[in-house]
Amino acid sequence: MKQFFKKKESTILCVLICIIIIITLNNSTFLRPDNIIDMIKGNTVLGIMSMGMLVVIITGGIDVSVGAMIAAITVIVGKFMVNFTGNVLLAFLLASLSGILFGLINGLLIAKLKIPPIVTTLGTMSIINGAMLYYTNGTWINDIPESFINFGKITLFKVPDGQGGTIGIPIQILFFIGAALITWIILKYSIIGRGIYAIGGNPVSAERIGYSLDKINLFLYSYVGFMAGIAAVVHTSIMRQVDPNAFTGFELQVVAAVVVGGANILGGAGTVFGTLIGVFLMAAMNNGLILMHIPVFWQKIVLGIVILVAVSIDVLQRKRTLRKLAKVDID
Amino acid sequence: MRRFSKEWMLVGVFIFLFALMSILSPDKFLSLNNLQSMAFQLPEFGLLSLAMMVVIVTGGINLSLTSTAALSGIMGAFALSIMNSAGFDVGLTIAVAIVVSVLTSLLCGLINGSIISYIGVSPILVTLGTMTLFEGISLNFTKGGAISGFPEQYYWFGNGTILQIPVPMIIFIVFIVLTYIMLEHTPWGLCVYMSGCNPLATMYSGINVKKVLLKVYLFSALLTSVSSVIMTSRYNSAKVDYGSSYLLQSITAVVLGGTNIAGGYGKVMGTVTATLILQVLSSGLNLLGVKRYIVDVIMGAILILILAINFINSNIKFKTKNKSHNSDSNSNLIVSLLETLKIAKKG
Repeated sequence: MKQFFKKKESTILCVLICIIIIITLNNSTFLRPDNIIDMIKGNTVLGIMSMGMLVVIITGGIDVSVGAMIAAITVIVGKFMVNFTGNVLLAFLLASLSGILFGLINGLLIAKLKIPPIVTTLGTMSIINGAMLYYTNGTWINDIPESFINFGKITLFKVPDGQGGTIGIPIQILFFIGAALITWIILKYSIIGRGIYAIGGNPVSAERIGYSLDKINLFLYSYVGFMAGIAAVVHTSIMRQVDPNAFTGFELQVVAAVVVGGANILGGAGTVFGTLIGVFLMAAMNNGLILMHIPVFWQKIVLGIVILVAVSIDVLQRKRTLRKLAKVDID
Repeated sequence: MRRFSKEWMLVGVFIFLFALMSILSPDKFLSLNNLQSMAFQLPEFGLLSLAMMVVIVTGGINLSLTSTAALSGIMGAFALSIMNSAGFDVGLTIAVAIVVSVLTSLLCGLINGSIISYIGVSPILVTLGTMTLFEGISLNFTKGGAISGFPEQYYWFGNGTILQIPVPMIIFIVFIVLTYIMLEHTPWGLCVYMSGCNPLATMYSGINVKKVLLKVYLFSALLTSVSSVIMTSRYNSAKVDYGSSYLLQSITAVVLGGTNIAGGYGKVMGTVTATLILQVLSSGLNLLGVKRYIVDVIMGAILILILAINFINSNIKFKTKNKSHNSDSNSNLIVSLLETLKIAKKG
């Protein structure tokens, strides 16, 4: 228990619990199962993408092209389904392949040409976005096949919804859980995962131990692309239409969720658990402010303050522990 | 080889592009009308890029740049429209509005700077938070609408000309010179580069890095406010999302201008040249009838291409340098060995 409170994630978990208490005191519908399920369903895309972003941020990189990638893949998959088939499996296959392809391009540029990640992904962002908008001209795709729409409506396990009835868990949430699990396993139990933390801590020594920086970078950015592909299909299954402009500015939301969840933007630290809390915090804030009947205009102010407070507390805490360590040294 | 620096390569690219556009559409691109309209469009973006550059030189980044610009523009616009409708003197109204804009922007910069330097949170996180915060405040004030109803004279800042030269361009040039002097010819500027290069070493050499950083964010905010004045005047209104597309574009311009995204290096000339390149590209391609989206694609490609060339260029330099360095150290080693041998013999 004591160890738990020493962890970085505990601070942000406390903030989350405080926010949940405040919201629930104002409006008790917040904690009702149907509201929570809706809230999570509405944020699955953010959640899936955060898992990809987390892995990159742990190595000290960043990928700002995620919004453009998701938007482009929704268009690719949408067009594919409208013109060829509504087969769900094929849609996922196509989406993850094109995602991995986008990611590989990023990875190659970063690994081989040593262009800083933020700059590379800025460039590919404007390339992907521009090409996609040129192709679609900004028009929506509405006639998604019935079979795919039905897939999006699937629900599993019935749980009581707090009003006497039952409600099923939407299939989209499974993908969120899956993404979190895979990322957790990779980070915790694979050699690549060790390498990811090692590179984030100190790239030079990681390379001297024998990790190949290039290979890990290639894997990383392809992984982000893969996640973007999955997120794109999940998004389409929720929205049942494709809006090429739906993801402008999405990348910063993802980064915010990850760093609020305790990942160090300079690399070396970050956990799946923390990122999950970060995503839930974002989701709870958006949902809770609506439930509390706070005007939309205030939402961004509150969100901004929460981000600032969360990251400041984290840094202040780290400084305090450092100071303690220093004292021990002198004694 | 030494003269072939990043900045001069950029100037070369600019001249090449300018010539190319002039050849491709001579009657349109070189017309006074087009040149003037480019000179009207450039300053607001150029000032934001400079504001981004000073921050990036310290190894930070300012994501709240455009929302600061929007907020300060909106506050200024409020002052303008309220005082205008209350019937105050025009000169006073405009002066008050500009002071309000600048003060708002400086306050935003103070928030960013103090959290970054005195609490020590990394810049990207702080400015991500303040970006959302400032945007929220602007939204709260305007409820998403645009503010207008400015006195006619205010129009001059963004649309007037002196001797055929647009006023915003003159303001831009003044601030280029100011930034150039501040960064490259004052002790403070040296501190900025040093703390971007190695903050710890800078601190140990007796420089108050925190103060330097705070001033950087304040200076960035000042440039932002000037840009916001030009923007509100040019559009004759103020709104939350004016200029929001400049955020990532300004990072593009700064990086294209040769500034090291990790901090420590960056020249005003490079950034200005990069904004010129982007402007010539977007205007020129627009005149050629290329679609807006393709322009984005081309800009992204150019960004990556130039950085790739820079990388290859520096790689070659590094290798040749390394070789000569190695041979030098080898000969040094031999000399010192011989000397020790001599001493040993004497002994």
